Amino acid sequence: MITTLDVKPDLAKAQNAAAGASKFCPGCGHGMILKTLAKTIDELELNERAVFGCDIGCSLLSWNYMNLDTVQTHHGRTTPVIYGVTRANPGTVGIAYMGDGGGLAIGAQHLVNAATRSENLLVIVANNTNYGMTGGQMSPTTMPGQKTETTPYGRDCEVTGRPAKAAELVASIADPNKSYVARASVSNLRKLNTVFKKALKNVADGGYSFVEVLSVCPLNWRTNNEGTWERLKTMEECFEVKEFLVKEGLE
Amino acid sequence: MAEEIQYKGYKVADVAKGKADWYMFTDLCKGCGLCMVKCPKKCLKWSKEVGLYQTPCVEPDPELCIGCGTCAMVCPDSAIKVVKK
Repeated sequence: MITTLDVKPDLAKAQNAAAGASKFCPGCGHGMILKTLAKTIDELELNERAVFGCDIGCSLLSWNYMNLDTVQTHHGRTTPVIYGVTRANPGTVGIAYMGDGGGLAIGAQHLVNAATRSENLLVIVANNTNYGMTGGQMSPTTMPGQKTETTPYGRDCEVTGRPAKAAELVASIADPNKSYVARASVSNLRKLNTVFKKALKNVADGGYSFVEVLSVCPLNWRTNNEGTWERLKTMEECFEVKEFLVKEGLE
Repeated sequence: MAEEIQYKGYKVADVAKGKADWYMFTDLCKGCGLCMVKCPKKCLKWSKEVGLYQTPCVEPDPELCIGCGTCAMVCPDSAIKVVKK
């Protein structure tokens, strides 16, 4: 029977409890990623220093998710906006949060230039292999053979090319002396927590961090709960989950 | 943050041989069912109570549940809480 409970849910201090339930769809991977990020910010006690930027797409629904200073911009421009903040206020821990559409298609120029210069921020790209907010169209990271709204017979690599691999791309151009580049997955949130911890520590020391997180999108994938985790396994075969670039001495 | 937020939900008392209490916040659960697959004992089943979008919530079998907290960790909306006693 439903009653008023005398206990509170396990929300991190960096999470905005007053906003109530998040605005994401049931089973969305953003909830898992942001929850883990908020927990990591609490653990490293960066609540006063962190600035959170969200992008266009489903990631913009996180505009009131965090109990941090938040800014929302368009199409991958989160990256330049946040490193503008960290340049103007040194010591700020800037977090740019975006999806694969914003980060790798429209905003790829910013991602590439920020990585080349290794600006002081943490870029998180949530990769769910489609454009979630507009109804599940093909995105740069759609896997070969995957059915989406715009590839009803499966993605044909002869016509549309191969999927974009963000972590490999960034690892090849980022400065190895000040960067941390990794790919993680929401199938293992403890691992994701350690990856975020390393990434945030690196940013707090003035480095550049990039984390691509393999995420889930049950509504646009049209999968049930079991099918969602199965699809995530096939994604982990296509996109290798590992650390690509670790600055020397980073633990 | 003027007033305390009140949460509604239900409690499954004494799971894991009385070592823990299991809580569901029906204001937060969206009924995605991701926790049911991740549960190592597969002891979660659909409940008669409904959540935020009028979809069924989940509840554990108190006999099988080991109180590990995997469901609470994986829940995208933090709708589950396991309190060890």
